[in-house]
Amino acid sequence: MPGRSSRLTLNQKLALGAVVLGAAALFATPYPGSTVTLDTKELALVVGTEADHVEAPELAAWIIESRADYRLIDLRTEAEFAQYHIPTAVNIPMNVLTDAGLGRQEKLVLYSEGGIHSAQAWMLLRAQGFKSVYMLKGGLDEWKDQVVFPVVADNPTRDERARDERLKSISAFFGGQPRSAAAVAAGAAVMPGMAPAAMPARPSVVAPPSPAGGPKPAAKKKEGC
Amino acid sequence: MNPYLAGIGLGLVLLAAFVLVGRGLGASGAFNSVIAWAVNAVAPEHARNNEFIAGYLGDGGASPLKSWLLFEVIGVFAGAMFSGMLAGRAKVMTEKGPRVSVRVRLAMAFAGGVLMAFGAAFARGCTSGQALTGGALLNLGSWAFMMMVFAGAYAVAHFVRWQWR
Amino acid sequence: MAMMAPLFKYGMFGEETSLVLAFLIGIGFGFFLERAGFGSARKLVSQFYLNDLAVFKVMFTAIVTAMLGVTYLGWIGWLDLSLVYLVPTYLFPQIVGGLILGVGFVVGGYCPGTSVAATATGRVDGLLYVLGIFAGMFAFAEVYPLLKGFYLSGSGEAITLPGAFGLPYGVVVFAVVLMAVGGFYGAGLLEKKFAAPGE
Repeated sequence: MPGRSSRLTLNQKLALGAVVLGAAALFATPYPGSTVTLDTKELALVVGTEADHVEAPELAAWIIESRADYRLIDLRTEAEFAQYHIPTAVNIPMNVLTDAGLGRQEKLVLYSEGGIHSAQAWMLLRAQGFKSVYMLKGGLDEWKDQVVFPVVADNPTRDERARDERLKSISAFFGGQPRSAAAVAAGAAVMPGMAPAAMPARPSVVAPPSPAGGPKPAAKKKEGC
Repeated sequence: MNPYLAGIGLGLVLLAAFVLVGRGLGASGAFNSVIAWAVNAVAPEHARNNEFIAGYLGDGGASPLKSWLLFEVIGVFAGAMFSGMLAGRAKVMTEKGPRVSVRVRLAMAFAGGVLMAFGAAFARGCTSGQALTGGALLNLGSWAFMMMVFAGAYAVAHFVRWQWR
Repeated sequence: MAMMAPLFKYGMFGEETSLVLAFLIGIGFGFFLERAGFGSARKLVSQFYLNDLAVFKVMFTAIVTAMLGVTYLGWIGWLDLSLVYLVPTYLFPQIVGGLILGVGFVVGGYCPGTSVAATATGRVDGLLYVLGIFAGMFAFAEVYPLLKGFYLSGSGEAITLPGAFGLPYGVVVFAVVLMAVGGFYGAGLLEKKFAAPGE
């Protein structure tokens, strides 16, 4: 080589830079794994104000109105989901929730049997950065109690009559039927475990077909590379 | 342009895609979307029944043309045109070697495209979507794909050298 | 600073904006492709006759650049790498697809992205190539039922090299950088040896 040049060419400088950056990256851990940071004060505030709750009748109204701006998520197992689920819900069991590919800007409404799993899932999603997560207050139990088998008065006053008609039509929409208040009162006195004659049998509820024009299941079109 | 500098530019564009949109570049997928749209426009029943095409139609809520990749590819067209005109490399011509006629070259180009379509369909991408994007993300399938592309090309190059030399 | 990228996945903007970004990013992509001379089939196939290894240089420089960028941004927590879409691996179809694509590359003279770039700069063969892709995609869709079994063979999971080989991510990154830089040096040597007459 005719004389050693002490200056590197551009390409050589680039190569050097790449090797240096590559070596420094030896200890890199770019995937964060499943660790998250929680803003405990913020979360505690939200929990306290119950701003994250959706009441069962409210959800029923959304479904009847065919609102499509949210996703209803059933957190239970596939078997439980197959037996009965709230119409328009998608089944995402707890254990696959984090891998489900939900967008962080989507409005999500979670429900489980009671409220425990949905509350825990709510916490997990909020911790991961989902801002628009809500829980069905009381879960499926409240849903059955207030929407599918609502309690109606036996001798309704004029105001009560209007309310009861509404409850009856909502209940019919979801394939259920109202319960008489007197029967509930009689049955309510019964201790669990005893087989009471007075308590009305809860029929197994069959999910009614999705209301026409309801939110379609998210069959996302794929895009490829 | 110095290939390494062009490569850095390309790499930064790819990085921008990762950081802004959470996905990489691509090209072949845009062609799929257009085909799906076209078949659906001409014969919707047939499109619905074809599993491959139906995937690009989804539930029919959004047109397959409203595809990130398609917009990106249109951008590729624009960006390349701009660069070509800037460099004086924009010219209506046919790239070919001295020993082959234009007609044969064009036929080979078409054939190459057909082959490319099958390759990209099986591989779920092409050199942009798989090799560049998947390569940067250390995707196993993408690296395997990339090596096979070089292998296939080098293996056959000798047999089509009459087209180029 | 907390995770906030990919911006789109964190709801910073909507779908319409992402489509505009797609166009802008595409402009950058097409611009650099053409800058590198990849609007020309002859330049591209020179790679496979060892005269001009720009394809290798550009491709791997881009890969290394983006890879280092992603690694560092993920490491300092500015980019949530798990939210960046990783194409699932279907090993056998991808291997066969790669071979076919390689053949198509040297026969046709382009790949899908460069064929668009070529068409944009007036190359008629680029246009024919684009038409060929359309025809081929249509043909693929038509015979898909026959190909479906093979098409779907493989795990369909998103697998990375570090995961597959059980190596730390940074080690693979460094190895790729070394391989690329070594390759660039080797490419320079090959180009000198196989330079086409007149270059």
